[in-house]
This record gives sequence, C-alpha cells and structure tokens, in this order.
Amino acid sequence: MPASQLYATLIDALPDPILVVAGFERDDLTGRRYILANAAGRELLRITAEEGMLLSAVRDPDVLGAVDKALFDEVDAEGVYETTGAQTRSLRVRARWLGFGGDGARLALLTFHDETEVRRVERTRVDFLANASHELRTPLASLSGFIETLRGHAKDDPTAREKFLGIMQAQADRMARLIADLTSLSRIELDEHVPPRGVVDLGLLVGEVVEAAAPLGAQRRVKLDWRPCAAQSAFVRGERDQIVQVVQNLLDNAIKYSPDGAAVRIEMQSGINDLTAAASYEPMPRLSLVAPDPSGETYAVLRVTDLGPGIARQNLPRLSERFYRVDGQKTGARSGTGLGLAIVKHIMNRHRGGLVVASAEGEGSTFIAYFPMANVPAGVVKAS
Amino acid sequence: MNEHIVRSYEDELNSLAAECVRMGGLTEAQVADAVSGVVKRNQELAASVVVRDDKLDEAERDIERKTIRLIALRQPVADDLRRAVAAMKVANNLERCGDLAKNIAKRTLVIIESDPLTPLTRSIERMGKLVLGRLSSVIDAYSRSDLERALAVWSQDDEVDEHYNSLFRELLTYMMGDPRTITACAHMLFVAKNLERIGDHATNIAEIVHYEITGAEMIGGRPKTDALKA
Ligand SMILES: Nc1ncnc2c1ncn2[C@@H]1O[C@H](COP(=O)(O)OP(=O)(O)OP(=O)(O)O)[C@@H](O)[C@H]1O
Ligand SMILES: [Mg+2]
Repeated sequence: MPASQLYATLIDALPDPILVVAGFERDDLTGRRYILANAAGRELLRITAEEGMLLSAVRDPDVLGAVDKALFDEVDAEGVYETTGAQTRSLRVRARWLGFGGDGARLALLTFHDETEVRRVERTRVDFLANASHELRTPLASLSGFIETLRGHAKDDPTAREKFLGIMQAQADRMARLIADLTSLSRIELDEHVPPRGVVDLGLLVGEVVEAAAPLGAQRRVKLDWRPCAAQSAFVRGERDQIVQVVQNLLDNAIKYSPDGAAVRIEMQSGINDLTAAASYEPMPRLSLVAPDPSGETYAVLRVTDLGPGIARQNLPRLSERFYRVDGQKTGARSGTGLGLAIVKHIMNRHRGGLVVASAEGEGSTFIAYFPMANVPAGVVKAS
Repeated sequence: MNEHIVRSYEDELNSLAAECVRMGGLTEAQVADAVSGVVKRNQELAASVVVRDDKLDEAERDIERKTIRLIALRQPVADDLRRAVAAMKVANNLERCGDLAKNIAKRTLVIIESDPLTPLTRSIERMGKLVLGRLSSVIDAYSRSDLERALAVWSQDDEVDEHYNSLFRELLTYMMGDPRTITACAHMLFVAKNLERIGDHATNIAEIVHYEITGAEMIGGRPKTDALKA
C-alpha cells in the first residue's frame, strides 16, 4: 500500500469522528466546506459524501463558532455537540487551526469525542439511588409498622399474626421485585447506546413466550390467541433475553388487564416499513412511545391486543414513565411496580425499534413493538 | 448572460438557503436550551436564551432583506423564485420559534422561584424532546431538500397535541390538589403551549419544503385531533 493510501485508510478507520474544514472568507457561508470526513464522521453527521458544504453536515452554533475561531482567528477552540433523535449523544468537539491549503484555503481540523457514556453512567447512578430509596420507603415503613404491632398488642393473637405475616411477605416480595426491576432497568439504560448483537427469530421467540404464559393465562381465565405470521420466519437484530423481556411485559400487562374469559390476541407481521409497522388497525387514539429515526429499514412487528379497560387518551404519553401507573394501584390482582413499560421502552430504543400504543377507555388496548429485521442468508433460514 | 453572472446568481440562492440552515441551527439551540433551562431549573441558561434571541431577529431581517434584493434584481421565476420565497418563509417561522423559546425562558425565571413540580417537569421534558426532534427533522428536510422527511414531519403533527392535552390535564389536577402551585402551574401551561406552537411552526416549515420542491400547496387538512372534545 503506498503511503498516501495508507494514511487515507488509517484516517477512515479511526474510531472518533474527524472532519477537515476549509474556508476562505468569514462572511462566505457556502464557501465553508468539509473536504474530508472519515467513516465515523460520516455516520455521526449522517452524510454520504466525503466532501460538501459544512452547513449541510453541521449547523450547531457551538460547533460552527469553534470552526470559525480555528479558521479565522487561527486558535484552537472547543464546543459541545448534542445529537437529536431517538439516541441522543453528547460529544466534545475540538477545532484546530491547520494552516493554508494548496488553493489558499484556510484549513481546520474538527474532532469529536463521545462523552455520552460518562454522563450516562453518572445519571443512571443518581437515578437508581433516588428511585430505590423513594420507592422502598413506603413498603419498609409498613413492614416496621407490622413488626411493631406483632411485638405489641397482636403478640398473642394467632389469627392477626397469620394475617400480618401474609401482608409482610407480600411487601417483602414487592420490594424484591422492585430491586430486580430497577437493577434491570439501570443495566439496560447503560447499554442503550451499544447496538445489540445477535439475530433472533421473532416468530419462534414469541411462540415460546406465549407458551410459557399459558399457565398464567389459565389462572386468570384469559385465552391466548396466538397468530404467527404468514412468512415462515422473521429474523430481527437483537439480544434474545431483552426481546423476551419485551414480549413478556406486554403479554403480562394484557393478561393482567383482561376481563374474565376474554381473549388476548398476539399477532405478527414481517417485511414491512416503519409506517406500516406503527399503524394500528383499530380506530383508536394512538401514540408512539418510541420511534426509530427514519432509515428505510424493514421491520418485523408484534401486536398484543386485549379487551381490557383501555387507557384514557390523556394518560397515554405518561405510560412509559418510571413508576407510572394509571390509577396508582400498588396492591391487589393488578398490582405492579410500574417499571414494566419503562423497561420495554429502553429496550426498544436500544434495538432501534418502535413502540406504539393504541387504546381507548372501555375498548381495550393494543401495544405494538417493531424491530429492524436482520439480513439472513437463505441457508440459515432453513437450518433453524 | 455570461457564465459569471449565472454562477453568482446560483451562489446567491445557495447562500440564502445556507443562511436559513444556520439560523435553523441557532433556533434549535435556543429551543433546546429553553427546555433544558426549565427542566433543570437553570437560571443562567434561561437568561442566556433571552439575551441570544436578538441574533435570531437579526438573522431573519438579514435573510428577508437579501431575498427581497434578489427578487428585485434577478427576477427569478419558477423553481428559483420558489427557493427564494421558501427561504424567507422558513426564516420567518424560525424567528417565531425563537420568540416562543425566549418566552419559555422568561417564564422559567419565574417558575424557578417556586418549589419544583417534578412529575410535570418530566412531562415537559418529554414534550420538549418530541418538539425539538420535529424541528430538527424538518430543518434537515429543508437543508437536504428531502421531501419524504418533510412529509413524515407533517403527518405526525398530532403527536405533540396528544402530549399537550395530557399535560393540560396533569396541570389541572396539580392546581386543584394544591392551590399554592397555581402560579407556577399557569406558567408551565404556557411553556407547554409554546412548545406546541413551536411544533406547529415545524409543520409549517414542512409545508414550505413541500411547496419549494413540488410547487404545489399541501392538500387536505392537517391530521389534527382534539382530545379534549373526544
Ligand atoms: N394492556 C393494558 N391495559 C390497560 N392498562 C395498561 C395496560 N398495560 C399497561 N397499562 C397501564 O400502564 C401502567 C404501566 O404499566 P407497566 O407495565 O409499566 O407497569 P405495571 O404493569 O403496573 O407494573 P410491572 O409491569 O412493573 O409489574 C399500568 O399500571 C397500567 O395502569
Ligand atoms: Mg407491566
């Protein structure tokens, strides 16, 4: 490989996004161009060409300001660049004056360094502590209350003791579940920017989860009406355990909120675009809780429909908020921690998928989760 | 016409569009900082949004002046005329977004004086993220002449409304529950309303992009639904 080609390959392979910017006059806006962008840079700024008008790649005033400083004041400058969209990232930007190019253009080097993880770890830790202490306070207080009563005037009352111990057991179970869910949520959040590895046959996986949920359905007298998709298999990109968690949570909710004897419908469809995937059949208010950035991908979709009480329109936007429960129910047959959908949301976001809810009060709900499909060679499809 | 004049005319149009895109970046930053200011109760950030609004006003005046000059001197027709008009209209909508961001920032300065309304703030954050995403997407569409992206922004117009209506109910519950929160809640309500209107401007820009590229106005009403009537 000749030296010049080696350098080009090297720059393209660098993990941090890099741009070389050229400019002539301060007030010549269209004259500011990027004349080199490595692969990471093209991906970050969603550009396809290696050269173009700078403003078509970045328009963040902080970054543009740093570029101008480097180009025209000939000093190094820094800024912060935040991306918008489903996966927000935060990067430190450095602009450095390079000198003059052959054509007399002023040149500057623009490098981006990703600081998303650092900030995320910090925020996740703060959130975990705040959530755990806040949510554990109530059950803990009630436990101490019961212990006090058991030591005091219920000491010699066997019926009361049995009853209290039962409640205490339930509270302890709830606390254990809460901690498990919070830990799981924190872990998923930390990984949210790491694209999932692996390929999963969504149809097969949903079938398994539905089968495993049969006893729960029987216990609640809810029929599970599973309709696999017409195409043989639907391979999606993702991490098996997390996708299982998504399906389980949606199914769990549908069963939990179904009336006695009703059916829960579980449908699949594959090979469709994002708009078709996010559409619901029922003429109900719908809202996307997670939407992938537009990308022209093909998706496989799972729809879980129940005939339960439904969710009022004004409550839809809050569904995936941590600890949010529509009527605040914390105990009884429909108890829960209110973390299920928050977990689902983060998983769907990590998978670059989408999550939509369509529901109307008194008419039931449909939850729609869709995943980008994987390109699997024909041989593999047959093998599995 | 000789080569030189033809080129510089094209250059003028390009730089008009470029100035709009730069103004778009500035607007996005203003909206992002306004939302961040109210969510994180950051007084300094809110104050800086108020101060920086002048830049947007100035950018709009500049684009308007240049457009008028270009139309008068070059008398563009067809595609070129649409590009010039689109630039001016986009700048106009961006300037309005800037005003709304500034208004959010001003209210933030008042809201900070009372106790935090944590769950509400989360709803505002969510709505802000959605609106900012739409704004950013539509400026991308303008910058890259991407009709499909513009249509996507246009057709998802009703999502912001859902968030606004939900927030409205949440606020009412709050105010009824604790009258001491009424002042802060009323300001929050306007913050939400302003965000919703920024979302409307994003829809307007989507329509402008459609007009610029195809020459046709958008047909059919917006997919609006009013939850409060449902
Ligand atoms: N299928 C459904 N029908 C009606 N309401 C639902 C449905 N799914 C979710 N909800 C509402 O959304 C809230 C949040 O759901 P989520 O799954 O996050 O929590 P949860 O089921 O209460 O608890 P967890 O899943 O953590 O045990 C629920 O409390 C319920 O009010
Ligand atoms: Mg649940």
